[in-house]
Amino acid sequence: MLEQQTSMTEAERLKLISDMIARAKNSFHESGLGPILWGAVITLCSLVTFAEIQFQFRMPFDIWFLTFLAIVPQVILVSREKKLRKARSRDELFMDGVWMVFGVSVFLLIFINYHTYQYMAPAVRALRETQPDAKSFSDISTSYFLLLYGIPTLITGIAKSFRPMVVGGVACWILAGISVYTPLKVDMLLSAAAALLAWLNPGIQLRLKYLKNRSAHV
Amino acid sequence: MFKDLDPILHTPLRLAVMSLLIGVREAEFTFLKEKTGSTAGNLSVQLSKLKEAGYIEVVKQFKDNYPQTLCHVTPKGVDAFEAYVTALQSYVNPDPNKNGTP
Repeated sequence: MLEQQTSMTEAERLKLISDMIARAKNSFHESGLGPILWGAVITLCSLVTFAEIQFQFRMPFDIWFLTFLAIVPQVILVSREKKLRKARSRDELFMDGVWMVFGVSVFLLIFINYHTYQYMAPAVRALRETQPDAKSFSDISTSYFLLLYGIPTLITGIAKSFRPMVVGGVACWILAGISVYTPLKVDMLLSAAAALLAWLNPGIQLRLKYLKNRSAHV
Repeated sequence: MFKDLDPILHTPLRLAVMSLLIGVREAEFTFLKEKTGSTAGNLSVQLSKLKEAGYIEVVKQFKDNYPQTLCHVTPKGVDAFEAYVTALQSYVNPDPNKNGTP
């Protein structure tokens, strides 16, 4: 017990310091629920859109509205985790900022894309009458999203030295490059792969690590 | 020459608290109590001494109608901690050149 110890050697003191620093560091384990939620939602939306194009059917609602609905459980998860947390890590503010900026950027990109499509639709339709193989606006817009997905994922992966997210972030950028040359149907498969690699897989790995760590402390 | 060790940080519990706080942005009293395995009374006394030395800042507030004590290390505390660790390392691995021996 620290309280009963009055004399310690210098080596014991250095060991106490490194033990305590390690103990503080080990207190921060991501639950992985956030990446699992978003990875699952984006994968599902992408695959449903792919199925709609491939099998020529329409869902009664736009499946991508699920991304708006997913904000509700995300807010609940974040506030619950913050409530339970007894210490805050040094990089917490930075990481929160990175993902908040990403979230705003995604919704701003949706807004910009929607309006750009409205402006360009007549011109694209006219072009496709003479060149049926010309790319539509939707064929290109997925590339911007994939580019954006890679940025916070890669920053998090590098900052936390978490290899699955580094791999996921790089994969997003490679898929963004590929998606420029593929039609929307294939873009949706690339988008599902990006969400799987960038968030779902790292999220599951974080969750398993978190549960293992929690059972070790029970 | 061996450097003098800071008496404020020489108490094991205070050293443990500073080591924990160095690794985080801020921590609750309950976090420090749990990680050091100390009693609330003793921890409270040691936190007061660290606060008096200007090594930490203690903020008392209410969270969900419960009192909450948050602690974080100050720049002065960081400097003192770094100097203490450097001094300890010189004790454990003395530089032969500085001690005048070949």
